[in-house]
Amino acid sequence: MNCKELAYLLADYLDGSMDPRIRAELDEHIARCKACMIFAKTYRLTCRKAAELRGDIHYEIPDEVQERLTAFLVSAARKFPGQMDDYRRQAERECEEKVLAFCRAAVEGKLSSMAAIMMDGHIAVCPKCREYFVVLRSAHADLCLPPREILEHVVRLLESLPPGEEFFLV
Amino acid sequence: MPATDRWKEDEGLLERLRKGAPGAVEELLRLYQGKIFSLAMSILKNESDAEEATQDVFMTVIRKVNTFKGNSAFYSWIYRICVNTCLMRLRGRRRGDTVAIEDFMPVFTEEGMHASPVDDWSKEVERKALNEELGKMIRKFTEELSEKYRVVFVLSDIEGLSNEETAKILGMSVPAVKSRLHRARLYLREQLSRYLQEGKAD
Repeated sequence: MNCKELAYLLADYLDGSMDPRIRAELDEHIARCKACMIFAKTYRLTCRKAAELRGDIHYEIPDEVQERLTAFLVSAARKFPGQMDDYRRQAERECEEKVLAFCRAAVEGKLSSMAAIMMDGHIAVCPKCREYFVVLRSAHADLCLPPREILEHVVRLLESLPPGEEFFLV
Repeated sequence: MPATDRWKEDEGLLERLRKGAPGAVEELLRLYQGKIFSLAMSILKNESDAEEATQDVFMTVIRKVNTFKGNSAFYSWIYRICVNTCLMRLRGRRRGDTVAIEDFMPVFTEEGMHASPVDDWSKEVERKALNEELGKMIRKFTEELSEKYRVVFVLSDIEGLSNEETAKILGMSVPAVKSRLHRARLYLREQLSRYLQEGKAD
């Protein structure tokens, strides 16, 4: 063990994570090397002082900065849930428009072949949707948004289309 | 006070932030604004930069509080956001005003002995009257370190986080943190040594 090795092992030596055999070697070196004894002492003191003087080393946040930040962030945070609501409402609107367009295409026979196959498959197992679309096709009524349950089925149908695939005939 | 105790209030706060409860943001700021500003200052070393960074940090915290997974401590999550925000700001900025840490590493002879006498300044440092001045000097010397070492030193030795926590915040391994921390301490020891020697000569 020499001074150079000791200097580079000092952190492990002081935090107690060192193998006891190497520690014994270091102890032995420090006991007979004044330079290393002082080096280790001042190294340890450096760490201790940095911790002790935490308060002096810290940067105080100036009052006006604190006021500005608080005012800005509190109002930004208040707006944030509002923004979330806006996004959610917009997503809902887009979804409803899509469902409406799907119903129109279904009535007018303008579904893409993929969408038509999936629609037929669904209607075969879902009496409620079958009834709804049969009525819709025969009534020639004004299209409006289907009731919640039907709407959810249509959404699921739309979601199960392959990505990028449109539900209507181009 | 150990870091873990300082942040005990976090759990309830987190819940209230997620719910958007009134006063939650104010509480968050009361607990962390000073800490985050100080950390940003020690990385960015400029008050208006630190203010902007602090603002960005809390905006990110408020926006992402729902995505925060409880697998790390809340404060270490905030610290990580702060360190990332500050390092992003530093990127691309000219880095001129830091010292070369190599100039402050101990020098050894070929036989591995100390090449120059090692001065014992422990007695001077213990003088109470010197404390305030010493705090200023440690801050100044820390500011002169390149951020690679500065951030580790600030988190570990000044903020008092464990090496494991620092490693987690910085996304580094524990040995890498230890090695940087050790070099930063060697540097600071040498700086203090030179500074106190000068004081003696006056």
